Amino acid sequence: MLTAAGRRPWTFYALAAFFALYVAFLYGPMICIFVLSFQGPQGALVFPMRGVSLHWFAELVTQTETGDILGAISRSIPLAIIVMAATVAVSVAGGLAFRDRFRGGAALFYGVIVSLVAPGYVLGIGIGLMFQLLGLPAHWYSSALGAQLTWTLPFGLLIMFAVFGRFNRSYEEAARDLGAGAGQILRLVVIPIVLPGIIAVALFGFTLSYDEFARTLQTSGSTNTLPLEIWSMTTNVTSPVIYALGTVTTAFSFIVIGVALSAIALIQRRRYGRALPAGRH
Amino acid sequence: MHGTYERDTRTGAGRVELVGLYKRYPDGTVAVDGVNLAIEDGSYCCLLGPSGCGKTTILRMIAGHETPTDGEIVIGGETMVGRAPRQRGTAMMFQNYALFPHLSVRDNIAFSLRVRGIGKRERYREADQVIEQVQLSALAHRLPAQLSGGQQQRVALARAIITRPRVLLLDEPLSALDEFLRLQMRSELRQMQTRLGITFIHVTHTQLEAVAVADQVVVMEKGRIEQSATAREIYASPRSAYVARFMGGQNVLRGTVETVAGGVATLRGPGGERFALRLATERSLAGRELYFAVRRDHLRLTRADAAPPSINAVSGRVRAVEYQGTYVKVAVDPATPGAKAEGGDGFVAYVEEGDYFRDPVVPGTTVVGSWQIDEAHELASGPATAPAV
Amino acid sequence: MTRTSPSGERASPARPYLLVAPLLVVLLVFVVAPLAFVVAVSFFHYDNFAIIPAFSFENYADVLTAHLTYDLYLTMIWFSLLTWFFTLIIGFTVAYFLVFHVRNPLIAIGLFLVCTVPFWTSNVIRMISWLPLLGKQGLINSALLATGAIRQPLQFLLFSDFSVVVSYVHLFTIFMIVPIFNSMSRIDRTLFEAAADAGSSRWQTLLHVVVPLCKSGIALGSIFVVTLVMGDFYVVKVMSGGSRASIVSAMYDDISTLLFPHAAANAVILMIIVVIMVSLILRVVDVRKELASQR
Repeated sequence: MLTAAGRRPWTFYALAAFFALYVAFLYGPMICIFVLSFQGPQGALVFPMRGVSLHWFAELVTQTETGDILGAISRSIPLAIIVMAATVAVSVAGGLAFRDRFRGGAALFYGVIVSLVAPGYVLGIGIGLMFQLLGLPAHWYSSALGAQLTWTLPFGLLIMFAVFGRFNRSYEEAARDLGAGAGQILRLVVIPIVLPGIIAVALFGFTLSYDEFARTLQTSGSTNTLPLEIWSMTTNVTSPVIYALGTVTTAFSFIVIGVALSAIALIQRRRYGRALPAGRH
Repeated sequence: MHGTYERDTRTGAGRVELVGLYKRYPDGTVAVDGVNLAIEDGSYCCLLGPSGCGKTTILRMIAGHETPTDGEIVIGGETMVGRAPRQRGTAMMFQNYALFPHLSVRDNIAFSLRVRGIGKRERYREADQVIEQVQLSALAHRLPAQLSGGQQQRVALARAIITRPRVLLLDEPLSALDEFLRLQMRSELRQMQTRLGITFIHVTHTQLEAVAVADQVVVMEKGRIEQSATAREIYASPRSAYVARFMGGQNVLRGTVETVAGGVATLRGPGGERFALRLATERSLAGRELYFAVRRDHLRLTRADAAPPSINAVSGRVRAVEYQGTYVKVAVDPATPGAKAEGGDGFVAYVEEGDYFRDPVVPGTTVVGSWQIDEAHELASGPATAPAV
Repeated sequence: MTRTSPSGERASPARPYLLVAPLLVVLLVFVVAPLAFVVAVSFFHYDNFAIIPAFSFENYADVLTAHLTYDLYLTMIWFSLLTWFFTLIIGFTVAYFLVFHVRNPLIAIGLFLVCTVPFWTSNVIRMISWLPLLGKQGLINSALLATGAIRQPLQFLLFSDFSVVVSYVHLFTIFMIVPIFNSMSRIDRTLFEAAADAGSSRWQTLLHVVVPLCKSGIALGSIFVVTLVMGDFYVVKVMSGGSRASIVSAMYDDISTLLFPHAAANAVILMIIVVIMVSLILRVVDVRKELASQR
């Protein structure tokens, strides 16, 4: 099966077909709602298409039928940016720390794993209760921010562990040898070298926050973030406007993903030529 | 150029002295076990030894990347322990070079100027001069991954020398290169050292590399110095069986002293052979076991059926013959059964090509190797574990 | 000499603690403390107006004596087993294809990204995108009707256990693919040649070489999938058409009616069940090695 060249075994074609089916399964439904979001004004939630229009997108903005979508977006994007920044800062610092063994490191690591696998809604209830019992008001920028970090930080840290696992420490020693101070080593050597990993962490931080639901539900206070808004629409709204929203928010996610992945690819390409992006640092 | 930045050119500024240097790691391993060493200003010194002998640890302690558990490091008469790497007047070239992958050749070389806060124009002007010195001008804008191994090594060298060090520390600088480049870069290093006139301390595990470039070769084993001398001296008169075996080209033999007279000891070997050995210092050694070395190219091989010399000869059965171009390497097992078990591991003779083919000996032939009394060299210490080369 | 000790000894011993301080604060404030609050409140009294601090087991008694509780847990455990099974089969096959059958590593990474991109988009949207496909007038039913394969629209496609599991598999297979892909990438490919030389068939090699070597990846993926399904909120609710509830959506209903202590007791029980499920997986495979190798 791994013969260097020549004919591929039949298993290749079988598995390739399986893979293609999986990709169709993954993207097919998304493509459906993408198409349906361009339904004509008389169109329903299902096929067939009754004309093609931007009617439902216009509906989104004018908010006749829907809730406060623009408000939700105006909270979700700043929140995602804050979560992203905090995730990057905390994960990079944590990744640096975990390169050395230190007392309590293992316990902290298990704490991170608990944060990852604990049911999100349970954490949300806990945070909601805590704020309520301590008499603190719940807001998207306080309780929901913290709740989302419990979801994004484990991913950020696991990525940074992998990145620093490949990081050669002689770069730091070389920099120190050449007279750089601790701050300069971090700014001029470590961060630029692990930049692709940092962008990956930022991508996770942003998108996981932007789409977070279970942990945010009990912690965002009286206002909704975008996923909460979409959720409430699934129960109230019976027109393709929900597909239009899905198309808009998915397109936005795709732009974010595209920018992040291109940035990583560009850096790797510049640094390692046509070599593998997986090249060692 | 910049006051404090100018290289210290006082005589002796690049003299390095290690006094009682000792390093123990937290896990208890002793990497460097009491090393005393003086390296002259402007000399090329090689620390030579197998993996784990402590040579890289010494280099890193001189550079300031590790702190000695005990002992002193003195450079140019100033004690260095406790100082930051940059305050030592040293520069290090790392194994695999540690070139910053995100910076161009020029930015790599200008890095030390950048962290000193020197403006872009000035640091590039200075970097370009050094780039010219190492003949990399055409590649100044490339990133390290776009360079060959030899070019990377030059960048690493340039990045180190732009700091105008008194001492340049090189950690296995040639190990990442293929055989051909290694020979070329080896001589470039030596030329560079001569041109700059600063002290080079070069760590390697390859004997030929050390012998080829160094003024002073320091052979190390298990955190200690076995011998420190010129390459020729180490090669011609190894102090110990360890050095003799590690440097290669020597047969290490032994015998029990029977008599000593006029500075010459008479020994009886494990197979009953008789050896005469001129002692380094006249002393009474009767009954003691002595080790001595005879160079492989000094052994004269004869067939056993010819009348063997009664003294300074060992016999055995040819095990293997390897043609080496200008000479033939003949490996011989000891004749006496049991001699091997006692630690006698036979001997090797390098026979000049023409001589060999006049009367070739094939494996299985019984031969005698003999030498003149002045071709044997007394060794200071006994059994060694270094692999014979 | 190969000891490239990272001169950690030079760094101040306080350094790692300063660096992890923010992480520690987040975990303490937003994981440890809230869980402690949930446990505490699960013992509180409540009436229609307020929560009263107390130490009582009545909430647990309420939860554990309700028939509904057992239904919920059994349903969710059943869903998580089904989902686990399908995500494992699909995830393993996809990872196997990408790692061992795609020869060009750049293409392999590209295809891997194709699988991961939806993970970075909204799960709620991905879930509702099944509605126009599976519904009574959905694409699948219309197509089947048009071809004459069926006379009546298939009812089981939407608002059923089927649509719930389809959604779970759709959302969570990525959590299987990534860890298994990682384990497989570390397998030395000469092992295949060695196995073939030893007379092992392709199937035997898969079973005796590949599967054991990706055990830890499979275990990690299983932990993700099982915990995600057990903690699910909206998939069951939406995709079952409201006919079923999940454990978490039951808590949500409690909280909407201010029955906080009741919900908290339920949450504690859920946590215990999840911990048991995870430790059962860990019992079979020790993933600590895998996680440690990430560091």
